[in-house]
Amino acid sequence: MKIGEILGKIDRRIVFGFMAIVVIVPFFFPLNVTGKVAPPSQQLFDAVEEIQPDSKPLLISIDFDPQSMPELYPMLKAILRHAFSRNVRVCMMALWVTGVGLGEAALNEVAPEYGKVHGKDYVYLGWKPGFAAVVLGMGKSIPETFPTDQYGTPLESIPMMRGVKNFRDIPYAISISAGDPGALTLWIPYVQSRFGQKLGTGMTAVSAADAYPYLQSGQLTGLLGGMKGAAEYEHLVAEAGYSEASKPATQAMDSQSMAHLAIILLIVLGNIGFILTKGRK
Amino acid sequence: MMKQGIPRLLCLVAGIVMIVQFFIPHPISEKIFSESLRWVRIISAFALVLGVRSITVHHGTRIIRKSSGWGYSLVALVAMVVTAVIGLFGGVDPHATALLPTSIGGFSFHLQVLYANLMVPLGATMFSILAFYMASAAYRSFRARNKEATVLLVAAFIVMIGMVPIGSAIWPKLPDIAQWLLNVPSMAAKRGILFGIALGSVATSLKIILGIERGWLGGGK
Repeated sequence: MKIGEILGKIDRRIVFGFMAIVVIVPFFFPLNVTGKVAPPSQQLFDAVEEIQPDSKPLLISIDFDPQSMPELYPMLKAILRHAFSRNVRVCMMALWVTGVGLGEAALNEVAPEYGKVHGKDYVYLGWKPGFAAVVLGMGKSIPETFPTDQYGTPLESIPMMRGVKNFRDIPYAISISAGDPGALTLWIPYVQSRFGQKLGTGMTAVSAADAYPYLQSGQLTGLLGGMKGAAEYEHLVAEAGYSEASKPATQAMDSQSMAHLAIILLIVLGNIGFILTKGRK
Repeated sequence: MMKQGIPRLLCLVAGIVMIVQFFIPHPISEKIFSESLRWVRIISAFALVLGVRSITVHHGTRIIRKSSGWGYSLVALVAMVVTAVIGLFGGVDPHATALLPTSIGGFSFHLQVLYANLMVPLGATMFSILAFYMASAAYRSFRARNKEATVLLVAAFIVMIGMVPIGSAIWPKLPDIAQWLLNVPSMAAKRGILFGIALGSVATSLKIILGIERGWLGGGK
């Protein structure tokens, strides 16, 4: 077999095996390469930084599920660490029913690190059916839309929610979003446009490019794109001295860097094979 | 006539009322808006019931007919029933007392435990194998067959390397070039697409409200 045909038809099992090695090895031998923080990540960090401590809560919406957890869950934890370290209260909710447990897990993990207490420092509203109706309803009245929190406690009896009526009482909202319903399909058209809510988002890398027009138009104030965005946020939080916790996204970026290089190498090999065989034909 | 006429009339009235209330900030229109949101939330809750019925009928039929892969349908139905029972009677708060105990000795089967140990690893596994398929698909199909494909290939390389930390280690300007590609050419194309989608959505909505587009009523070929 000619070299062109060999390069153009590498067995799928070899490709899979090569990718597995490339992804796994950096976990044992880290590259420790740190990239530049992109402006959209810095903007999101600055927006959370501007929220007054012990005041109105930061709203975080869990709009993803375990499938996109590797990219988005580290973002969620980094944002929670940033907020809690500055004594910013957090009001969390979920638009994806399959993501409810992730929000709960993140709160259970991060809140004790800073001695934060449910009801005083954070509240978890949980999930309600209706998507657009839910966020539009919150624009009118949060207690009417979520009469109780995730655990059945009436919202009016939760100290940190007193005086929080609607989006006017939310200084900043972040949708951590893996698709629809999420930042682009619900939070921007229904919440930012209609109620003028200051909004940021964390998205999977594959959909982050779709958010750039909204970032430029000012409808989004901050964007974390994929694992890179999560790693940048972790870096910003650590650099500011807010957290010394492990940085899963930063660790995983080595694997992602190597995986990108491996895919490029495979595409180049495929194209060399293509050019050589085309020339012969 | 009744079968299609009443839904079309309801759609026309609801559509026009919602458009009008959006542009008139009057207490009455605010009241209509709040009430309609309540209705939508209630109807959405009914959709859940329909979803459960649909899944039960679909998988139940497969099990009864012993269709190919009926065992998976059985697993799906058992998982749905068990999760629902634990959630409904075991509660969502592991510290609160509920009708159904969710732990026996040191063994817990609380909803959050099930979620963390079944849903999370299964979901993450599904998504993580994408990396392998994407690598294989990119290798097989991403060919510089003509000028346009070559431009696409070069842009993809720059963004792929520029968006990971190793990009700045290779060449410090690479992340800036990748960001420029996203901020300028990619954004220009996306804006055009977004405007097209928005105008198309308005046109389709008007066609549905005015009864020109009737596909949503079903019954067509």
